Amino acid sequence: MIKLDPRSSLVSPLTSRLVSRRAALRGLLGGAAVTVGLPWLESLAPRGLKGNALQQARAQLTSSPKRFAMFFWGNGSQPEMWLPSGEGEGWSPSPLLEPLAHLRDDIAIVSGLEVKVGNLEAHISGPAGLFTGQQAMIKGGGDWTFKGPTIDQQLAALMGGDTLFRSLEVGVEPNMRGMSLNGPDSRNTPESDPLALYERLFGATFREPGEGTIDPKLALRQSALDAVMEDMRSLKGRLGSNDQARLDQHFTAVRDLELRLARLQEAPVAREACVKPAQPVEIPLLEGRVQIEERARVMADLSAVALACDLTRVLSFWYCDPLSNLLHPNATSGHHQLTHDEPGDQPQVTEIIMGAQRSLAYFIERLREIPEGESTLLDQCALLATTDVSEGKTHQIDEYPILIAGRAGGALKMGHHYRSPTKENASHVALSLTRALGVPAASYGLDEAFVDSGLSAVEA
Amino acid sequence: MLSFSPLRFPRLLITTFLALIFGLTGCLEARRTPLEPQKNQSPGTSEISLDDLPPPPQVSPGPTALRRLTRAQYERALKATFGDEVVVPTVSEPDIPQAGLFSVGASSTTYSPRGVASLEEAAFAVAQQVVSVEALRARALPCELEGVVGEERSECVREALALNGLRLWRRPLSEEELNRLLTLSLNAVEVLGGALEGLSFGLAAMMQSPHFLYRVELASPNTGAEGERFEPYALASRLSFFLWDSPPDDELLEAAASGELSTQAGLKAQAERLMSSPKLKVGLEQLFIEKLKLYKLNTLRKDPLLFDHFSPELMRDAREETLRLIDYYVLERDADLRELITTRERFLTPRLAALYGVPAPTQEGFKRVTLPENSPRSGLLSHASLLNINAHPAASSATLRGHFVRTVMLCQEIPPPPAGVNTAIPEASGNTLTLRDRVAEHLENPSCAGCHKLLDPIGLALENYDAIGRWRERDNGALIDASGELDGVSFEDPLSLSQVLREHPEFTSCLVKSVARYATGRLSTDEEAPLLNDLNARFELLGYRLKPLLLELVLSPLFYNAGAPQ
Repeated sequence: MIKLDPRSSLVSPLTSRLVSRRAALRGLLGGAAVTVGLPWLESLAPRGLKGNALQQARAQLTSSPKRFAMFFWGNGSQPEMWLPSGEGEGWSPSPLLEPLAHLRDDIAIVSGLEVKVGNLEAHISGPAGLFTGQQAMIKGGGDWTFKGPTIDQQLAALMGGDTLFRSLEVGVEPNMRGMSLNGPDSRNTPESDPLALYERLFGATFREPGEGTIDPKLALRQSALDAVMEDMRSLKGRLGSNDQARLDQHFTAVRDLELRLARLQEAPVAREACVKPAQPVEIPLLEGRVQIEERARVMADLSAVALACDLTRVLSFWYCDPLSNLLHPNATSGHHQLTHDEPGDQPQVTEIIMGAQRSLAYFIERLREIPEGESTLLDQCALLATTDVSEGKTHQIDEYPILIAGRAGGALKMGHHYRSPTKENASHVALSLTRALGVPAASYGLDEAFVDSGLSAVEA
Repeated sequence: MLSFSPLRFPRLLITTFLALIFGLTGCLEARRTPLEPQKNQSPGTSEISLDDLPPPPQVSPGPTALRRLTRAQYERALKATFGDEVVVPTVSEPDIPQAGLFSVGASSTTYSPRGVASLEEAAFAVAQQVVSVEALRARALPCELEGVVGEERSECVREALALNGLRLWRRPLSEEELNRLLTLSLNAVEVLGGALEGLSFGLAAMMQSPHFLYRVELASPNTGAEGERFEPYALASRLSFFLWDSPPDDELLEAAASGELSTQAGLKAQAERLMSSPKLKVGLEQLFIEKLKLYKLNTLRKDPLLFDHFSPELMRDAREETLRLIDYYVLERDADLRELITTRERFLTPRLAALYGVPAPTQEGFKRVTLPENSPRSGLLSHASLLNINAHPAASSATLRGHFVRTVMLCQEIPPPPAGVNTAIPEASGNTLTLRDRVAEHLENPSCAGCHKLLDPIGLALENYDAIGRWRERDNGALIDASGELDGVSFEDPLSLSQVLREHPEFTSCLVKSVARYATGRLSTDEEAPLLNDLNARFELLGYRLKPLLLELVLSPLFYNAGAPQ
């Protein structure tokens, strides 16, 4: 849970107004509030600016905005195969990091941290602690949710307001659930069908600058959503507090769509590196198995362009789910089963994790090759790559595998390995990334996950 | 020889309950012996009839919550409103199970930005069909809209919105709600020119409204501790979604309007009407798709190199085999539900017959057969559906299968494995060839044994069925030992495990619990235990027949009374 510093204002004057208004209503982000969504009936867009003035202001602020990206794979790593040798800038990649060796100047490895929330639910408590800063809400029988929004959604609420999509959740494993939540029981299921993702990003709604005319139906669709929101307002008063919170989440989502319809009526801002990609081809099963790395490359291509086109500034990339039992190419059993049942050093598990790291490397390469201003898209990103447990076999959440990529416009230091000597709190990383993105955060996390200082080793 | 006896299980729960009511242990003694020949026994022929039972206790029901329509309900609701011909796009908002049930998950989930966007797309896609496809338009329009203008046109749009609104929102719209939609539609008529196109905006808005997307079943504001009867339209929705997994039909809405549903007699009459409809099959199947987690079959994959029998078509057949058996036992035979666990009757396709190693009973489609006495398969536990769901992609799993029997068949709770324990099991080699040998570690390591001794022995009894449900005598060349015990009753093989499960007292109370969860969309509260006990007693008197149990549940305060919202 990000808690903002009450003394500072956000970098973007467009969003600072929003934050201060929300802060006034909610008693600061985090605090006792469970959700970081739009406050009821509140508008995201500033009322003062209109038409061209609004667009100019937006273009100015957003010529090279910072972006947050996440890369997640489920079922953990293997600490002995993951840990690089050497610390600081003189590190050498471990076997599992070998696929990223050629990117060593653009990544940082953070090892030896621990997620401090207590390991109550295997595969769930780790991400709960790192992504929400508090323990998961455990319902028994393997059912769970998070008590608050995940870091991507916390950041989306702060920095996602100016783009067509407040956030994007991209999946690789078919039919996956992901772990992006807006709040309890409000999950952003990743889009894991390449064609559907393409359609969403670059389908009928995508317009090149100067292209096409404005569809009069867009405004009418907004009016239809206005009617829906009226229904929600009048229903809300008749509900208990649980249902009110649920309807609030739903309302925020409707408002989000309404804003998108509004943006679609504005002229798109020209961006040099934004080139509409070709429609991806469907990736068939190979001998009955999902070709997961091939899928990951297609999704990474689309994700990188989505960021380059500034369709979103918050993107989470979900390679496979916690507890995923996907049968990977060449594996003799499902992924999760292998982490528990494969004997010895678990070479098949190593190969699956290696596949995730190859996919991560591919994604980082795509971001790095897209120019933006004087530098690259990657340089404007803060990318957090991690998993759900340190090691699938044991479910432990100390020695948590964390990789950072991108300099967040110069706020993050890359090209080194930081090894914590004292099992420091993994929340430090979340706070450093949050601040690197320009959010004046005072602290991250609650109770045992609480930190009010970042990890100076990764801060430039 | 089977080594079980129905008498070994303590029948404490029901015994105690009935003893409390009657103080007549003698009647209970009489009921203790012949459990087997009870099938098709109708109420009234036993010593105690339903009429002898006191009415269900009036206790405070648990909290009511908004229930998100499941994907299936969403589609059925749109088809019920506009006609079966309407093509409903798939919405990107997956159902999330809680306690295995979508119906319970639907009481806590909400809609995400991506879901809302796809709901909007779907709403306009459906609305567009409704105004442009002639057959759909005829049903949706109570008046002539083409070629009319001015007041007449507005009036017709209003009538169309009211008619479709009643079906979509499952209640009449208020004047204010109707005016809001009318304004939107007429504005669209003005901008776009066409009256039909304008109307489509009003329809699309209704399909995105919380009044459509959630089941808004609320208690009245002054609900007291003992709960209060749901208002009639809410009760109509509860009834039809429970029994049909679909919205109320016009007659049920009429029963809500006329006040019929406000009386127990009226509620009973409508429940009986719904239960005599062919749509009961839809609701029954949905109940068991969720209860048995058959939804997992939709995306299940196995290693095709190890299992050349496996195909998505086989999984479709497997799902249908299980559902057909349930339909047959509940709808056609109105039989003792425990028979599902031990029956040799099955519905087979050629594909399933090949998997089971029996002659194909038919060239195509399904045919009911009775497997021979010496067949190693009986009942649900030997169905390909459950065997596939509770196994890994390349191997069987004693733990998953045991977990399924404990949590799904007996509603017992098993805590998750502790963190920080090395869970690897040894590879098959030397003297540890079978899974029983390999998982022996689970039962020796004290941090594992507590739970695994509850799970593994049940799953190991099913080891003769491999990961896709084929029969095998040996695993890695070694003979499989399928013997074990379930809560103190021992068994030798999968057939006798099924006999033991059938007689387990928690099997029937678990069914009651699941049906109650499914109907109410939530877990029962502690305060509601007397209501569940009452249903358990009724279920026993009904000879464990499901159809009459559904009716008893509808007539229980658990179903018709609302608790205060949380």
